[in-house]
Amino acid sequence: MATDSSMVDPLAEGEPAPPVAAPGDRRRLSKWRLYSRRFARNRPAVAGVVIFVLLVAFALLGPLFARYDHVELDFLALSDPPSPEHWFGTNNAGNDLYAMVVVGLQRSLLIAVVVATGTTILSAVIGTAAAYFGGRVERVSLFVIHFLMVAPTFLLLAMMSNDSGGDWRVIALVLILVSWFFQARTIWTLSLSLREREFVHAARYMGVPGMRIVLRHLIPNIGSLLVINFTLGVVGAVMAETGLSFLGFGVKLPDVSLGSLIGIGSSSISSAPWMFYFPAAALTLLTVSMALVADGLRDALDPTSAAGGRA
Amino acid sequence: MVVAVTNLTYFLAWAYLDPRSNYVGRRPPLSEEQIVNLLEPRNLDDNVPLLERWWTWFSGIVFRWDWGVSPTGQSVNEQVAYRMWISAELMLGATLLLTLIGIGLGVYSASRQYRLGDRVAQGTSIITMNIPIVVAALGLVLLAIAFNNAVGSTIFYVTGASSPGVSGFFPTIVDTAQHIALPTAALVLVGYAQYHFLQRSLLLDNIKSDYVRMARAKGLTKQQAIRKHALRTSLIPVTTQVAFSIPGIFTGAVLTESIFAWKGMGQYFIETISKNDINGVVAVAAFGAVMTAIGAILADIAVVVLDPRVRVS
Repeated sequence: MATDSSMVDPLAEGEPAPPVAAPGDRRRLSKWRLYSRRFARNRPAVAGVVIFVLLVAFALLGPLFARYDHVELDFLALSDPPSPEHWFGTNNAGNDLYAMVVVGLQRSLLIAVVVATGTTILSAVIGTAAAYFGGRVERVSLFVIHFLMVAPTFLLLAMMSNDSGGDWRVIALVLILVSWFFQARTIWTLSLSLREREFVHAARYMGVPGMRIVLRHLIPNIGSLLVINFTLGVVGAVMAETGLSFLGFGVKLPDVSLGSLIGIGSSSISSAPWMFYFPAAALTLLTVSMALVADGLRDALDPTSAAGGRA
Repeated sequence: MVVAVTNLTYFLAWAYLDPRSNYVGRRPPLSEEQIVNLLEPRNLDDNVPLLERWWTWFSGIVFRWDWGVSPTGQSVNEQVAYRMWISAELMLGATLLLTLIGIGLGVYSASRQYRLGDRVAQGTSIITMNIPIVVAALGLVLLAIAFNNAVGSTIFYVTGASSPGVSGFFPTIVDTAQHIALPTAALVLVGYAQYHFLQRSLLLDNIKSDYVRMARAKGLTKQQAIRKHALRTSLIPVTTQVAFSIPGIFTGAVLTESIFAWKGMGQYFIETISKNDINGVVAVAAFGAVMTAIGAILADIAVVVLDPRVRVS
């Protein structure tokens, strides 16, 4: 059989004998060093981090290099292809596409991060609290969760954000409202077993108040799941926001996001394809890089996973 | 639950949509009386108390199965009945294809875990799964336009479900295929990966189990053991997942339909919201809720049929 231990699944092929360290030079790995080492071994995940950091840098530093503002109109260059003057070309009104992509990326990133943070916090608190307190709290939260699962959330989302007139804060809030409950349900299932553990009983008999147990003892124990949920939440939020904006229900002019840019670009896709290329490339890089990071994190944080290699 | 959701949507729709605004900005301006005359017979007049409107609407459904009319007077029943099948035409093929491709790839990459083929397949899948559907669909449109230009004739149509004026059996089939190819490809491209990952991890769990080792010990080849023993058990959860995706077949892919200009349920949904068509919005929501319920029931039936350990008493 193969002996290259990095490529062998120890579960399937039997554990190769662990390298015996001399008793003197055995060091303890801290949790975070272990995680980062496992993560760094996953090359696609590292590539995802690099792409994501570059995109964030582009969104933050891009305006420094922009020659035009995203609402500024250049009437001498209508629907121009990319040129030294306008790096990404212009649209039919003379807006500089480079400036618009930078602003759109900022907007999409901001919405995504806000939504992912809000969703993670809300689902963690509600899921664990429902499991820990039980009784009426549990029944009410589960009823709400199940009701939202049947409710036509995308419809609500479209109606509410259409009504908001394109304010990104309202869109972010509505996105949080319609996306927390799936995660909350998963967390509730996990926390059911967690609440029977000794350290929770110990804390309870010591008289620690309930909400404090939830925040200090239960939530840290599902920390790795929350980290993964957060990264996947960013992907989901970006996709939902761009879908809404593409249809015209989300961010509205003069504010732009990647979705609304693609929506504008799609109407002139055969005559001015660059209006589609650049926002689409930014959007795809954003979602794919975050998904690679989430995948790497899952392998790195999961103690039973063999995909990251040993240790 | 379905009835509760539908009624709740009715009130929510009234809170967010305003049919009156369809007529207010008209030129020449309509008088208040004219607007009321247009809206009142359609049960869309906001001067009538909400509860009364609700009762007219609800009793219409319960007693006459009449879901109301849009602000322009079209019957919602007709629209849904017609659009449902357009969505189904598009989504059935796509769901079938992406399920088969996903399961096939899953079996392939599970039986060669961590080898080159598995790594390449997984790498591709994680990328395609996270391409936003908008980008995938529009990218395909660009490719198809380039292809059509290169060939010199229109092989792929990028808009609509069919061309007008096509008759006869075979021309209709060819015409449909030309229209359906691109949206199906877009849906399959972004959708197959979830079944790939699901099938792969389920099959891996089963390959390591005792009864598959037993089958191998009996002298079956690895391929035979996977096909006859491991695959059968691992198909059960995948089937459940597919059954749950059936509501999507009829409610449709909102973004795909609007990009390719298919007049299905997804496109209806956008149209109703932007035209303040409250009765239409509620009908879409109710339809979605019913489909979700049917999907859940189908999933249960599928498990009973496939899994001999589950018996209905």
